[in-house]
Amino acid sequence: MQARSCLSNTLVQLSNTLMSSYPAETNVVATPVPVEASVTPNAVRALFRRWWIPFAASSLFVVSGHLLIKSGLSAVAQGMPSLSLWTRVLHCVMQGQVAAGLLLYFLGSLCWMMAVAQQEISFLYPLSSVNYVLVVFASSMFFGETVSLRRLSGVMLIVLGMVLMNRKARGPAQ
Amino acid sequence: MSPKLMIWLSVILSAVAQIFLKQGLSSLQKRRAGRNPGSIILGVVREVYVWLWGMFFALATALWLLGLQKLDLSYAYPLVAFGYLLVNILSAFFFREKVDSSRWIAVAIIGVGVMLIAGS
Repeated sequence: MQARSCLSNTLVQLSNTLMSSYPAETNVVATPVPVEASVTPNAVRALFRRWWIPFAASSLFVVSGHLLIKSGLSAVAQGMPSLSLWTRVLHCVMQGQVAAGLLLYFLGSLCWMMAVAQQEISFLYPLSSVNYVLVVFASSMFFGETVSLRRLSGVMLIVLGMVLMNRKARGPAQ
Repeated sequence: MSPKLMIWLSVILSAVAQIFLKQGLSSLQKRRAGRNPGSIILGVVREVYVWLWGMFFALATALWLLGLQKLDLSYAYPLVAFGYLLVNILSAFFFREKVDSSRWIAVAIIGVGVMLIAGS
């Protein structure tokens, strides 16, 4: 969805607000295990402690989610001009693949949040521009979309801009 | 409404939604809504800007889905990057955030990239 950064930024900001009220976990053995922690196996939690794993998962989920959304949207009947805007949206959202894609997308945002909790956003943002490249390549591969040189160079400029935009952001914190 | 217009509107609404969210969460922080999660959530629910964010977000998503139905994914998806440009402009204007020249150059490069795609 369009709102990739919008949704994930919300989650990041909310989680920062919420998480700041909890002290960092120091000794797992001595402290009683919280209810939600006992649900998740320790191995999985340890896996997500490495920032690049949630980051890669977020890219995978966001890109595949969008591919599913697009493929589902194409399957929804096209000619419904008489229906109102919201009815047409409802038709789209209730299509199986679109719904699954949105769910994947949401999971991707959660993973992004986990990555952001461990690494600076100015470091992660340029890396996340790989999503644009992946989506464009996958669209041409799976949907047979023609990606012109012009479109490709546009994507490359976006990647370049995102790298430059966050390069200077590593200055002293304000 | 043409699909392209829907995509552009969706991108613009999302950027404005971000500004609303930022405004909402900072005024929440200023009011010091409390430390326990319950009162934080209550504070979030009471904040007008958070509601505005939600509405704009829903509308942007709806327009995105309708627009994407008729357009190439490789065309529409990169246009999301236009949001970076808008958010920089809006936050410099409304929040008086300092955006240095190297950042403006980077944002301009993104803008050129988006325009290339828009014309493709």
